[in-house]
Amino acid sequence: MRAKGDILTYVEEIAKAMEMLATNKRSVFLGQNVAYSGSIMSASLEKIPANKKIELPLIEDAQMGISIGLSLEGYIPISIYPRIDFLILAINQIVNHLDKIAEMSSGRFKPKVIIRTALGSTKPLYPGLQHCSDYTEGLKALVKNVEIVKLTKSDQIVPAYKKALENAIESNKSTILIEIADKYCES
Amino acid sequence: MKVMLSEKDLTDFEEEVKQLFLDKKIRSPVHLSVGSEKQLIEIFKEIRPSDWVFSTHRSHYHALLKGVDRTWLKKEIMENRSIHIFNKECKVFTSAIMGGIAPIATGVSMALKRNGSNDKVWVFLGDMSFEMGIVHECIKYAARHDLPIVWVVEDNGLSVNTPTQEVWGTETPNPKVIRYKYERKYPHQGCGQRVIF
Repeated sequence: MRAKGDILTYVEEIAKAMEMLATNKRSVFLGQNVAYSGSIMSASLEKIPANKKIELPLIEDAQMGISIGLSLEGYIPISIYPRIDFLILAINQIVNHLDKIAEMSSGRFKPKVIIRTALGSTKPLYPGLQHCSDYTEGLKALVKNVEIVKLTKSDQIVPAYKKALENAIESNKSTILIEIADKYCES
Repeated sequence: MKVMLSEKDLTDFEEEVKQLFLDKKIRSPVHLSVGSEKQLIEIFKEIRPSDWVFSTHRSHYHALLKGVDRTWLKKEIMENRSIHIFNKECKVFTSAIMGGIAPIATGVSMALKRNGSNDKVWVFLGDMSFEMGIVHECIKYAARHDLPIVWVVEDNGLSVNTPTQEVWGTETPNPKVIRYKYERKYPHQGCGQRVIF
């Protein structure tokens, strides 16, 4: 049992950040293994109310478009891709729409999405090249208006998600947060 | 307020844009809509001012029929935004990425349903876009989840100059798909027992 004041682990900080996001009445969490278990991220969503979780089929690019659409009607979507390798499938919507709509529309439409993804873990099992690549720098080269943050330390997590929520509420700005799954098992 | 435009109102607008283009007053591509007036006027009778309209690079008629002010639209076109017509008041949203509006429109319709709204989303797509995978995904998802969205296919048989049905083929024979059912013994990954390394 942890005592008050104990330092939380990486994965505990992630769960705390998700609960913080859920306190916003317009937030919704969507993706695969969001309402159902199955991904390395599912456990961090267990305390999120069921009515805030939207389980989607495998439609990565459409998921990003759906997230943009929800945002146009006032929601703050937390769009979840358990591995950055899978987020690559949504690059079309991220680059051609999420990153450009505000500029293309002269600021008339300002979609804001919080994108949660992770670099796949390599320990204790090596999952293969398609499950643990790091495209952080590639993503940075593709977008100019979406903020990208790699979460390398546990004490960075809650402030980074708070800032992503502030970005969404106050500046209608989207953020991609990249977690490091190898740190999920750290005690 | 609902606007009622005649076929002549629409063609007059596009002819004016054409002339501006010929006079070198527009420094961006323009995609004129002439030829679809009758069909669109009929469809827009059902579209309410509070509904959303999603369109493409060819959106002048959709915008006008949705209630976008003619002078405002002309100004946007002259400021080289013909392929990016966005009007928040009239809920007109466009994209020049083919098929790209399909999931965004689906997301808006999900939001409307969650909000208990009676508004609808109308999506205007070309015949080639209608064949795209992401569009099929969205149509299937929206139909199976009873989302308030209507898909309108504007079929001129061409995608730029490529004949849609020629490249896709005109008939769908029974595809060679084998599907079998089974029950899994083990979880998605591993064997259900924790292994400590």
